[in-house]
Amino acid sequence: MTAEPQPPTGPAAFAGSPAPAEAGAAPLDALEPWPDTVAWQPVSPDLVKVELIGVGTWMLMLGGAAGVAWALLGHWLLGAALALIVLWSAWRAVVAVRAVRAWGYAERDHDLLVRNGLLVRRLSIVPYARMQFVDVTAGPLERAFDLATVQLHTAAAASDARVPGLRPAEAARLRDRLTALGEDRAEGL
Amino acid sequence: MTEPLPPADPVAASPAPPASPASPGSPAGPGEEPRRRLHPLSPLLRGAKSLVVIVAAMSWQTLGSVGLGVFALLVGVLAIGALVVFAVSWLNTGYHVVGRELRIHEGLLWRRTRAIPLERLQSVELVRPLLAQLAGLAELRLEVVGGGKTEAPLAYLSVRDATALRERLLTLARRVGAAPAGAGGEAAAAGDAAPAEAPAWQLHAVSNDDLVLSQLLTPQAMFLPFGVAFVVLQFLLEDTWSFVAIASTLTAMAGVLLQPVRRILSDWNFRAARDGDDRFRLSYGLTETRHQTVPLHRIQNVQLTSPLLWRPKKWLRLRMHIAGAASPGGNDAQRGDRLLPVGDQATARMLLWHAVPGADLAAVHTTPPPPRTRWLHPFAWRSLGAGFADQVFATRSGLLTRELTLVSYARIQSVRVVQGPLQRRLRLATVYADTAGGRSGAARDRDLDEAWRMAAELSARARQAREGLSSPHGAA
Repeated sequence: MTAEPQPPTGPAAFAGSPAPAEAGAAPLDALEPWPDTVAWQPVSPDLVKVELIGVGTWMLMLGGAAGVAWALLGHWLLGAALALIVLWSAWRAVVAVRAVRAWGYAERDHDLLVRNGLLVRRLSIVPYARMQFVDVTAGPLERAFDLATVQLHTAAAASDARVPGLRPAEAARLRDRLTALGEDRAEGL
Repeated sequence: MTEPLPPADPVAASPAPPASPASPGSPAGPGEEPRRRLHPLSPLLRGAKSLVVIVAAMSWQTLGSVGLGVFALLVGVLAIGALVVFAVSWLNTGYHVVGRELRIHEGLLWRRTRAIPLERLQSVELVRPLLAQLAGLAELRLEVVGGGKTEAPLAYLSVRDATALRERLLTLARRVGAAPAGAGGEAAAAGDAAPAEAPAWQLHAVSNDDLVLSQLLTPQAMFLPFGVAFVVLQFLLEDTWSFVAIASTLTAMAGVLLQPVRRILSDWNFRAARDGDDRFRLSYGLTETRHQTVPLHRIQNVQLTSPLLWRPKKWLRLRMHIAGAASPGGNDAQRGDRLLPVGDQATARMLLWHAVPGADLAAVHTTPPPPRTRWLHPFAWRSLGAGFADQVFATRSGLLTRELTLVSYARIQSVRVVQGPLQRRLRLATVYADTAGGRSGAARDRDLDEAWRMAAELSARARQAREGLSSPHGAA
């Protein structure tokens, strides 16, 4: 404990006076921040198939139920419901394809960037130093297409760094790199 | 403890004994400190505490229907049952310090041993409810990350034991925690030979007059006369003066309207002090006194609140958030996160300076989001704001109750940029600075380019602050 800085006295402006805004930089694409310095890695296009199968399963279950009911009861509302389900599934399928393209990650020197989402776009910047643990998961569908999901957890519940649709080898590499870098710079809390 | 991070401390790693899976009920192993029991009066106190719960659970309705005698008998039987349970649990509860861990053994049928690594200790609280004050006892609560609620409450110890244990735990925690920060030599000199309380100097004492006045200036207190008038009027008109009816109405009202009173009771005699080891020592409470010890580097973020009715007085409330401390949704009175129940700006500035070294409230400037934000927040958009200060990222929100959240760069866990569909149309985005406890600092609805710059700046500053921490006498 050397010379402790003296606490300031006197009232402080709680409301905060406006400071001059910085001059605006060149406009950027919403999904492409810092395009010069960041090399975004796409996730595997096979993830599209996983997503499509998921959508298709839902469509078959709901649409099948509506179709059978329509065939038996013959009410026109059930036919409309079937049409709606098919349309909705088609929309979901289009969104799924584009969403997979929107998903990407980038490993920078000190942090992992993950971006995702079409309707609500998200970018997470998680420093390796804050890593608490890394999850690698693969569901049955993902395994069938030789994919895995890597998720980086920090002490903050709000942090969200999940990368789906990685090849197992790439997932293992990412996991090992994350844990190695995390141990290197560990500063958990 | 489900803390997955290995001890990242090469100096301290070796002497820490492994968490042995030895049978929890067995006596302490050779060379270990003997296991200690809680104070013999604890079952009695906990029984008395459960008596209140029992009576509350039976409710006034039951009293009305079964009569006083049966009611008393029922309560008595339940209370004796509770007493027996607590006595058995007391017999089977023990704690001791092993190396750098505190181990707590408990349970008769389902035995449990909980080992708490002290380097994970976030804060220590010494709580003395009214009955415990009369009996000269105290409860020791340890906060660690990962528990949904307070882990390992040691209820109850004699005050001397509790204080001594607290100092011992803090000294151990300090030595472990300080080593990677490069201040190991200085801390080791303190040693655990002197478990006496480290000298502390008082920073601030909240005047009880101010506290009472501040709680009178809350919506609940303002509405209290109307509530009382309403109840009285109802009884006068309906002419039903049954004891049960009045008692239940009053109980219901007490639950809703007496929050200001609870705040007054819990924040009475608020004292904030700081000791030589960079820790806050806060003590407060009238019927239940609490003495909280928080290492400064455990404070994740600080929140300043200025309710509408306090504004003429220019008063503020300060809160700090600690990782692992009771969940944000919890009961306000139970949350041990107050840093200043009420105070003026100069006090807030001074306390903030201590809580986040180098952060000056007067130097905090925030800029509002672009005017087109008013499409999303027609009234509140002017009260939004965000800005970079020396040590903290400041975000402002709230039209009536103004809030200023200050996140220290050194505590940022991750940075996020989120853009909803409406925000995309307006070229806006929200930037979050996440911390391990409390709310994230959210710069809402910034211009998109500014949001990207802000995110880049935040991660750069966070990295700088983290790296500064690794050097001796860093920003921590």
